Amino acid sequence: MPSVAESPVVLELTNVACAYDAGRPAIQGISFAARRGDVIGLLGPSGCGKTTTLRAIAGFEPVAEGEISINGTPVAAVNRHVPPERRQVGMVFQDYALFPHLTVRENVGFGVRRGPAVDRRRRIDEMLEMTGLTDLARRYPHALSGGQQQRVALARALAPAPVLLLLDEPFSNLDPDMTYRMRGDLLRLLNTTRTTAVLVTHDHEEALGMADTVAVLRHGCLEQCAAPETVYHLPASPFVAECVGQADFIPGAIRDAVVHTPLGNFFVPPDYPGGPEVVVMIRPDDVRIDDAGPWAGTIHSRQFQGADMLYGILLESGDLVHGSAPSTQLLPLDARVRLRIDAAHTVVFDRHAERSRCVCKRDAARGRAPEGIRD
Amino acid sequence: MALVLMLPLGYVVVAAATTDLAVWRRLWTTRIPELLLNTLSLSAGVAVVDLILGVSLAWIVTRYRFPGSGIWDWLLMLPLAIPSYVLASAYTHILHRDGTAAHLWRLVAGPDASVFSPFSFAGAVLVLALNTFPFVYLLARSAFQRFNVAFEETARATGAGRLAVFFRVSLPVIRPSLMAGLFLATLYVASDFGAVSLLRFQTFTHAVYQQMTGRFDNAAASCLSLVLVGCAGVFVFGERRFRRQSRFYQTTGRYRPPVPRPCGPAAALLLNGGLLLVFMAAFGLPGLLLIRWTVDAVAAGEVSPGFVGHMWNSLSLSGLTATAAVVCGMPLAYAATRRRTWAGTLCAQGAYTGYVLPGPVAALAVLVVVSHLMPALHGTMLILLLACLVHLLPVALQGMESALQQVTPNLEEAARSLGARPVQSFRRVTLPLVRGGFASAWILVFVQCMKELPASLLLRPAGFDTLAVRIWLEASEELYHLAAPPALLIVVITIPVVLLWSGALAGPGRRDTRADADAADADADGADADAAGATGAPSRAPTGRRFRRSP
Amino acid sequence: MPVAVCAPALLAALLAGAPAGHAGDDLVVYSGRAERFVQPALDAFQAESGIAAQVLTADSTALINRLHAEGARTAADVLITNDAGSLERARELGLLRAHAFPGLETAIPARFRAPDNSWIGLSGRLWVIVYNTALADPGALLSILDLGEPAWNGRIAIPAAGSVYLQTGVSVIRAVMGDAATTRFLRGVKRNAGSFVFEKNRQIVAAVARGDVAAGLVNHYYIHRHLAQHPDAPIALRMTDQGERGMGLILNAAGVGITAHVKREHLAAAQALVKFLTAPEGQLLFAHANKEYPLNPLVPAAPGLPPLDHVRIADVRLDRLADLRDPTMTVIETVGLR
Repeated sequence: MPSVAESPVVLELTNVACAYDAGRPAIQGISFAARRGDVIGLLGPSGCGKTTTLRAIAGFEPVAEGEISINGTPVAAVNRHVPPERRQVGMVFQDYALFPHLTVRENVGFGVRRGPAVDRRRRIDEMLEMTGLTDLARRYPHALSGGQQQRVALARALAPAPVLLLLDEPFSNLDPDMTYRMRGDLLRLLNTTRTTAVLVTHDHEEALGMADTVAVLRHGCLEQCAAPETVYHLPASPFVAECVGQADFIPGAIRDAVVHTPLGNFFVPPDYPGGPEVVVMIRPDDVRIDDAGPWAGTIHSRQFQGADMLYGILLESGDLVHGSAPSTQLLPLDARVRLRIDAAHTVVFDRHAERSRCVCKRDAARGRAPEGIRD
Repeated sequence: MALVLMLPLGYVVVAAATTDLAVWRRLWTTRIPELLLNTLSLSAGVAVVDLILGVSLAWIVTRYRFPGSGIWDWLLMLPLAIPSYVLASAYTHILHRDGTAAHLWRLVAGPDASVFSPFSFAGAVLVLALNTFPFVYLLARSAFQRFNVAFEETARATGAGRLAVFFRVSLPVIRPSLMAGLFLATLYVASDFGAVSLLRFQTFTHAVYQQMTGRFDNAAASCLSLVLVGCAGVFVFGERRFRRQSRFYQTTGRYRPPVPRPCGPAAALLLNGGLLLVFMAAFGLPGLLLIRWTVDAVAAGEVSPGFVGHMWNSLSLSGLTATAAVVCGMPLAYAATRRRTWAGTLCAQGAYTGYVLPGPVAALAVLVVVSHLMPALHGTMLILLLACLVHLLPVALQGMESALQQVTPNLEEAARSLGARPVQSFRRVTLPLVRGGFASAWILVFVQCMKELPASLLLRPAGFDTLAVRIWLEASEELYHLAAPPALLIVVITIPVVLLWSGALAGPGRRDTRADADAADADADGADADAAGATGAPSRAPTGRRFRRSP
Repeated sequence: MPVAVCAPALLAALLAGAPAGHAGDDLVVYSGRAERFVQPALDAFQAESGIAAQVLTADSTALINRLHAEGARTAADVLITNDAGSLERARELGLLRAHAFPGLETAIPARFRAPDNSWIGLSGRLWVIVYNTALADPGALLSILDLGEPAWNGRIAIPAAGSVYLQTGVSVIRAVMGDAATTRFLRGVKRNAGSFVFEKNRQIVAAVARGDVAAGLVNHYYIHRHLAQHPDAPIALRMTDQGERGMGLILNAAGVGITAHVKREHLAAAQALVKFLTAPEGQLLFAHANKEYPLNPLVPAAPGLPPLDHVRIADVRLDRLADLRDPTMTVIETVGLR
């Protein structure tokens, strides 16, 4: 985060653990920090503890170990619990939690309680304006579309000018189109207000696209916390690798400081600590379908993705790799192709290290029918 | 506070457990098998009749369109407004050996024919079924209205006939609603005191009252209470299990509601006739009788001079009970829905023991506790209030809980994160949202309390006769024209409440699109909410819907 | 949670504002006797003395249970029941107060009073057989025990086990005939009555009048009351167990007592009420209202009642009824009457 290195730290979690039942922690050992204006993306499959982390920051879950500080003040530790209303934290809930008995304007103004009436009114107007809700100010939540409701939730959370905004899967109830637009709006809004945000999501595109720092959680533990590019290109584990995008793992063996695989040889990264039996991570964009390529395979599956076409290619060794190609070129199933590998980084994992497939299948997540669309 | 509610039950258990074995043996050989058989068979008989009446009426009202179909929708709810003992009195009169019904029947069936005696199993089933079928009707009706016709169409597409579809698809799909309705009806029957004692049909509730008023110690009454409470406890527990398991039935997303089929004039006449028959039997005839008796009493100047006083007593007792139930129930309901702690759950479950405490048992329990712990309360209004509270708190609790359940914890958390303290969050968010639900809980307790009989009979202070007590005293002397004015008043007060309550379970016609999308989960909760009042109108809090309509 | 704090306070406030159950100045009467047979006498008493009374009507046993439970805090000043056994039971429990006033000795004979006058009989009621003149032959009914014979199967109506009249009647039969004969009688009666078991005497009389059954066990005045309303009803009263060796008729008394915990300021009023009820005017109102036998020998029986002088009464003292009651209940329940 070189661009904001000079900004003050707004949120800091140090070795935080929460437990619903004693002895069975929901999250543990979570540490990360956010500087002013940062967006932290908490990514992971459902049940990994990302929402618990968010609720601990908000003050809805007590902390069993470690410490949470906001603006340098500890707000949660083992024997310390600052109630949510005194943490100056705004929260956008997955279901928005708009107050059904209040109008849009009253919802947005709910947390604006201090200062002279004129100032308060101006603040509410400002928020309505900023979120494009001015015309809807007198409506009740039930008369709004999903996107509008989301904007109300956002405006309501931002209206008291919180030092930190927490977003719990804010786009999961919107259809894909709307999600795309809302992401842009949200980023713009966060930028204008210089608000620090923590965004919980199970969608890797959302996390990679919006966050300055992505924290990948698994079974309540932080698996990797780094810039999106790092997480994508240099994942700390196969789990992270699969969590942030399509990845294939080609088995290979290390001999003479070189990895030998069916797709050629790779240099072993200097800090690789594991044994000689390994897998090499191949991203689809590392694979080039090229008649002059050294490796042969057959087209096994095909998925149209707009600009790209994603091919599953069965190698002669029996391994499957995915490669993307411009969708202008169409290869039939079972066609024999040749390919080469064009990777900037080599990512190698020990084949025998514990490895389980990421539960959050990207395709499943993306293709999931949004629940309860009410537009 | 839950302790206050569980304490009475605990005392009954202790009293029964410490009772001499000889008493148990005597009861076991002389009373318990008969009472068990009677109570079970009465409940089963009423359930069967309720099921047939309730389902067929609901089907007719929701699936056919004919002149008048709109009126029946709510007319069929009215029988709930008649207290069971009033209906029983009316039928003892109607089926009197020298009554009009008997004369008419003799014209048809010959001079030696006789109408069946209301003082029998069949009589008790008839009266209680006519009194309780609206529970099943109401829940079946709303289930049919919310029914996804796609189920039926799918079945038709696979080649099933109309009848097969009804029995193999429509009925099974609404089974949870039917069970909820039958559950209410059965608890009502098991805890009914007025009708069975007027019809001299021996059930546990009746026997407990008899033991309390016929013996100088409460040992036998405690023993019988324990058996009754045990059976009811098993029943309530079983019903809750069933309901938890059958949640999935109605969890569909979008759906198409059924479209009523128009009928020809002949069919319309037939349907109207059938509905009229049921309505007259359950409400029209008794209502007319009450009016006639009241007119007689007024004409003869025989209306009790204390009438206004009795009315005031009823109103103040019911008002106090309802207020106390809502005030006491609020923290309990809140604890049950928000704090999933061991103590919170225990509190709520403890209060539900009232489900299985019919009036006489509640009175007995409170009496026993008070004589041990607070003898000063004897003969005061407070002890009666306490008994009514123990008996009716579950009604309030159920209504308030379902209202609170519709306010997701997220709303309160959102308020907290926006800087509201817990008190402020409750006042600014929770309270405005549950106000309607709490009000309807209050009203339901109020109405139930207006009809409450056994506890008032046993515990009222001197000079504190309520309308229900007057009805009882006069009706048991068969002085119907003296019993009629207070009975009519109770019915008149109850009717709007019954309609209000049934309106809260509105059909799809009154929903907007947003609410439709929620219908699925609302329904799953509905089964909970609908299984509300132990002995009377259950509560479906209208709150959640209210705010979804346009302002 | 503030609600938890507010709730008790609010409740207390509500209760403080609750209307009192009874006016503080009125005499409070717990009555096991139907209101309309008590109220006229009380009205007359009020007219004479200016003292008003609040009545709580309920079953006698329930009232005694209640008095017992309420103890010293009871609101009741006076207890009236229709059953001397209940009154005696109340005396044994220490719920009644001994008292006397000049003229009591002559007003009510000693056999209708508790030894210490803590209760005083007011009116006599006979437990008799009512029969349908078209369906039953009175000649076949020499003793009340005849109703247990198989000949009456399906033809009789009886009161429910909770009825104090039944309990008193069975107590007397037990005292005279012993448990075995009583049990035999009750088994027969239970079988013969079938489902014709009634809470109320008037229902029994009505059933006999309608011809549902041929005979039934009731207090005598219910027959007269029914005949007053339906002069043509085919019913008649049968006085059984007469003759040299007969058990005699079962007589019970309605009576009155002053509670042990009568409020001090009400004691004089309560005594005045008792005195009024034993005096001729009160006797007329109390007993005649219901065609019962006034127990004051100066007051004649209501017209139409056979005078008591010539009737043989079972020789069981009223004050024994209380002790007889519990074993009687056991017998009744062992037989399985409901």
